[in-house]
Amino acid sequence: METMINYDPTFAEEVFQNVDAGEEIKMCMNCGVCAGSCPLRHEMDYPPRQIFSLIRSGKRDEVLNSKSIMLCTSCYTCVVKCPRSIPVMDVMHGLAHYAIKQGILTRKLTASFGGEFWNQVYRLGRVDEKDLPRRVFFSQGLVEGIKSMLGFMDIGIRLMLHRRMKLLPEKKIKGIESMRKMLDKAEKLGKGGTVA
Amino acid sequence: MADVETTNQSILVVGGGMSGITAALEAAEAGYDVVLIEKNPYLGGRVTQLYQYFPKLCPPNCGLEINFRRMRQNPKIRFFTMAEVAGISGQEGDYDVTIKLSPRYVNEKCTCCGKCAEVCEVEIDNPFNYGMDKIKAAYLPHEFAFPMRYVLDPSIAGTDEGKKCFEACEYGAIDLNMEASTFDLKAGAIVWAAGWNPFEAEKVDYYGFGEYPNVITNVMLERMASPSGPTGGKILRPSDQKEAKNIAFIQCAGSRDENYLPYCSGICCLASLKQTTYVREQQPDCDVTIFFIDIRALDRLEDFYTKVQEDEKVTFIKSKIANITEDEETGSLLLEGENTRTGEQILMNFDLVVLATGMVPNQIDIETPPDVTNDEYGFLTNDPEKPGVYGAGCSRRPTDVASSVQDATAAALKAIQSIARR
Amino acid sequence: MDKKTALYICTGCGIGDALDIEQLKEEGTEDFTIAEIKDHPFLCGAEGVELIKKDIEEEGINTIIIAACSQRVNYDVFDFGPDKIVDRANLREHVAWSQPAGEEDTQMLAEDILRLSCSRADNTQLPEPYAPEEEFSKDILVVGGGLTGMTAALETAKAGYQAILVEREAQLGGFLARMKQRVTLPYKELTETGAEALVNEVTEHPKIKVYTSATVEKIEGGPGVYSVDIKSNGDAVSERVGAVVQATGWVPYDANKLGHLGYGQLKDVVTNVELEEMAAAGKITRPSDGSEVKNALFIQCAGSRDPEHLPYCSSVCCLVSMKQATYLKEQNPEGASYILYKDVRTVGQSEDFYRKAQEDGNIFIRGEAVNVGEEGGKLFVEADDELLGEKVKVEELDLVVLAVGMVPASKPVTTPRIKAPADTEGADEQGMIEVLPDSGFFANSALNLAYRQGPELPTLKYGFPDSHFICFPYETRRTGVYSAGCVKRPMETAKVIDDAAGAAMKAIQCTELTSEGKAVHPRAGDTSFPEFNMQRCTQCKRCTEECPFGAINEDEKANPLPNPTRCRRCGVCMGACPERIISFKNYSVRMIGQMVKAVHVPEEDEEKPRVICLICENDAYPALDMAGIKRMKWSPYVRFIPLRCLGSMNLVWIADALSRGIDGILLLGCRHGDDYQCHFVKGSELAETRLGKVSETLDRLALESERVKFEEVGITDYERIPKIIDKFMEKLEEVGPNPYKGW
Repeated sequence: METMINYDPTFAEEVFQNVDAGEEIKMCMNCGVCAGSCPLRHEMDYPPRQIFSLIRSGKRDEVLNSKSIMLCTSCYTCVVKCPRSIPVMDVMHGLAHYAIKQGILTRKLTASFGGEFWNQVYRLGRVDEKDLPRRVFFSQGLVEGIKSMLGFMDIGIRLMLHRRMKLLPEKKIKGIESMRKMLDKAEKLGKGGTVA
Repeated sequence: MADVETTNQSILVVGGGMSGITAALEAAEAGYDVVLIEKNPYLGGRVTQLYQYFPKLCPPNCGLEINFRRMRQNPKIRFFTMAEVAGISGQEGDYDVTIKLSPRYVNEKCTCCGKCAEVCEVEIDNPFNYGMDKIKAAYLPHEFAFPMRYVLDPSIAGTDEGKKCFEACEYGAIDLNMEASTFDLKAGAIVWAAGWNPFEAEKVDYYGFGEYPNVITNVMLERMASPSGPTGGKILRPSDQKEAKNIAFIQCAGSRDENYLPYCSGICCLASLKQTTYVREQQPDCDVTIFFIDIRALDRLEDFYTKVQEDEKVTFIKSKIANITEDEETGSLLLEGENTRTGEQILMNFDLVVLATGMVPNQIDIETPPDVTNDEYGFLTNDPEKPGVYGAGCSRRPTDVASSVQDATAAALKAIQSIARR
Repeated sequence: MDKKTALYICTGCGIGDALDIEQLKEEGTEDFTIAEIKDHPFLCGAEGVELIKKDIEEEGINTIIIAACSQRVNYDVFDFGPDKIVDRANLREHVAWSQPAGEEDTQMLAEDILRLSCSRADNTQLPEPYAPEEEFSKDILVVGGGLTGMTAALETAKAGYQAILVEREAQLGGFLARMKQRVTLPYKELTETGAEALVNEVTEHPKIKVYTSATVEKIEGGPGVYSVDIKSNGDAVSERVGAVVQATGWVPYDANKLGHLGYGQLKDVVTNVELEEMAAAGKITRPSDGSEVKNALFIQCAGSRDPEHLPYCSSVCCLVSMKQATYLKEQNPEGASYILYKDVRTVGQSEDFYRKAQEDGNIFIRGEAVNVGEEGGKLFVEADDELLGEKVKVEELDLVVLAVGMVPASKPVTTPRIKAPADTEGADEQGMIEVLPDSGFFANSALNLAYRQGPELPTLKYGFPDSHFICFPYETRRTGVYSAGCVKRPMETAKVIDDAAGAAMKAIQCTELTSEGKAVHPRAGDTSFPEFNMQRCTQCKRCTEECPFGAINEDEKANPLPNPTRCRRCGVCMGACPERIISFKNYSVRMIGQMVKAVHVPEEDEEKPRVICLICENDAYPALDMAGIKRMKWSPYVRFIPLRCLGSMNLVWIADALSRGIDGILLLGCRHGDDYQCHFVKGSELAETRLGKVSETLDRLALESERVKFEEVGITDYERIPKIIDKFMEKLEEVGPNPYKGW
């Protein structure tokens, strides 16, 4: 017998409750403009529209294990074009965050990048261009870490030549306390970004 | 200065398109005095620019001819072209209206002999064909123009070119000193049937209209298909005047989109289905693809949709196209999107892309408008608490010709009721 | 009236350059009595018009022939009042602009055009408006007391006219009264139905007379003079009215035919109408056990858009299901409603309500139901989900709602059969045949018109008595009877209200025009009407059968009984009559016959063929004008005679023309068939059918069939017409000259 999807609204309800902007997916009319405009479309297993359809049909595993939700680069193209003003990007980030919270790490690297990015910004008020990749890459283990670092050496040198990356550790920005207050507030307001 | 006697028993109809003509005729044939004003130099409005109506695929001029004939033999209707409302004051049963007339530079002596156009060497963009071709600055707006009378473009009125036209006219029909003027009239009720404008497709920047020559709009295609249009009835690519081998229609280009027009424009599905039949009849080898969100063919119009679906050369894909890029060399267009039935990515090349753009209502655009209510999109809502000014046709909702005519007929009765209440 | 005729030739716009005007005056008029013949270089100018007016005043001219431009222009300039006959000879578009200047053939053409005009003027009398002995009524009968009917009656009354409303049920209200709420402009939230207030307003309006538990037993007469027999609560009453609005509404599609969707087998599968009634009565519960409804699924297009059931879209069901999902949401905010759809069709501003329905959390699934079943006391629906590309199953459903469509109340459950004329194709053993929707005998009883062509409005193919015309949605096959609302086309309430007012407008207008003896659309204002010379009638029934508007009744001896107020003045009866007994004051078989005879036919050795081209004045004539304006050229041997409708073409003209040596007859009429463009419905088709019978004439005269041809043309076919003419001329050249020349 062929596969049959059983519609189950409980997952949709879970998404509405827990995922930032999750409720907005109700407005989707399946036009596909998000998928059509996504620069990472070819990397995705399900385009955003289909993610929304899957949520509504209750396919929890497919959605939370989808690598699509981890791939969004925040280019805003889908958000700008969506005829129903759905913040597609926020939903994708929200889903990724929720998946990670559930312990699902489809793209570990993406997840650790997100987590480290947030940590650094929270700690320093800025990103340390050498510390962030180091932490991310070595989260995969020592050998993988060295391999990845070597692969990015060229970029690292060029960044240094353009003074985009310092040899010394970055210092905290002025007024880091106020910045942290802002971030705390933001985290409280939303249902969270891609923080591990 | 127009010589027009009106009373508070008269009905003013603003807009001489299908809705306005209908409202005016229906009221006049029931015995009421009607003044009809139209901004263009001719009556007929948008439908005169259509090649055929759906679903019968018949020429709009056929019905217009009957209507003009009804008008010719009915002394109860007086009409003014190149006329606009400049001011309205008063209330139901007693309006004072100021009408502004733009100079035509051609008077009632015009016999339509065409001598002025023969000598005129200046050309202007032809507004009737949405600027796709040129026309002499002394011109007949279109061949079925009613009234059948020439117009001089204001750009040549004060020039030597204008003088040349003046001298060529044997009948003293050209009056270069004509100026804009106003006149006042009274009315007991007003029917607002000012129609619509095509949505400005360039606003959807990712479709490249205005940038890529082979991206056109549905109203432009309508002119192209018409034998009196810029290509003599041939559907050709603007870039090289060649026949297209595959054509895409993009539905909801601006409509059903909260970034532009949140409402559905009501007619574009059927318009594209109709235009598909133009293409298929002219070019048996041409493939047509229609990209849509929902196909909205209400009531018996479904039959027309069914008929077009049966054509093997026509493909329907449920997708809102997300991007268009042009191959500069060939002028062909790459469409990107998602086929929402298969989930697959669309990367398809087309020779010509037609944007199914929607309708934007022409609102009451005067300094002191009468007390009417518009919805958030600018359509008149005909609030029963505010009788006296009645929207009709596409001033009220985006809709097709038959519904506009129905609506305009109803508006005529509403106007009569306003007068009966006096 | 004693005619005193004057001819005015304009020499402007190139006419003077193309023609020898003096010769034209002489040759073109020598067969006629013309009191004054003048020319002017600019006849439509003030001075030219003054010249004519002066002659009218001083010389007593009452018949004026203007030989100038097309009758389609300067109509206002050459209007000298209703007591004058004006005839227009088109020397501009049809001669000066389409023929080479100064040639003999051009001159001969102009002379013939003048002769045609003089002959027509000679045979024209001023029409006298029809005035019956009885007084005209301007009251409006509205049949059907639902939203459409009540609105039509109320709008009629508000305009100051008396309305008579007949409702079959004991109460007014129709489906509106059975609804809980409406969804209408501005489509943001649900709206109260307003049924009670509307019923009260209608009932209390001094200008509305309401009959409930009533049916229309008979409508006799014609616009302005209808007498109506009504049976109300068992009593017979009669009313006189001027026009009728049919607002008999719709019935839901029979869900018993939707067994595959579980209807009739599963108690909790209901129709949208049943759900609405449940909601209006109070609470929506499961029919099986009266328990709460939490989850529901709506199957859209249940029967609609389905060639097996209703091929058309019922227009309203998308919005209705969204409305009903809103009821369920209000009842149980925890519940889920699924809407299984083919396309969401919320046109115009109603897209806003689609948005609202989505915001409320209703789940839209694009696809088709394949199975509806029951499991553990709950329903499930299996469907092909088009967008997931997989089969889906929705379980735990308390209710499945079939969004069934609208069937016009006029559509009979089984197609009626009538006795077919002998040897009709498709007739059964008893000689019976199915009635086509196109007939007055097809629809369910509602009006009971005492018409020879059947008691009801003819309908379009699915049984809707709607107009076939896009530009003229109130065009009707039965003058003075206008359909409105869902009987005419499936439509939502917002449109019903407009349509009802529109139909009321047309009904009122019909009574006004009729009271002045004038025709309604499309020849609105025409005061001529057909008169029958009964002494010569052979009771052949052609006129009573062929009238596109059912205007002519029959007595028991098959004598035609004309109803002038039903007449649309197309002249189809006149064309049909083999005895030529039907004439208008200003349009008759004799008139066109005389015109055909007025054309000069050169001797055979002159090698100048002559063709009579009978053309539809509504479409072919303007198209020819356009060809002229575009300076296209065509054969100078063709003589155009415009007809009110090609359906008024009488075969005697063809016989007469051919026996006089005319080489060919070309007919240019409107497109017919399913998408016909003829403004008189069947006129051009009838003309072609009649032409099929012309072979008898041709055989009798021993002439070739190629001499007579019918072509369909539209108003925009000006490029084609010269080609059609040239091709016909080529054909005639092959066939050779008509041997009857000079007889």
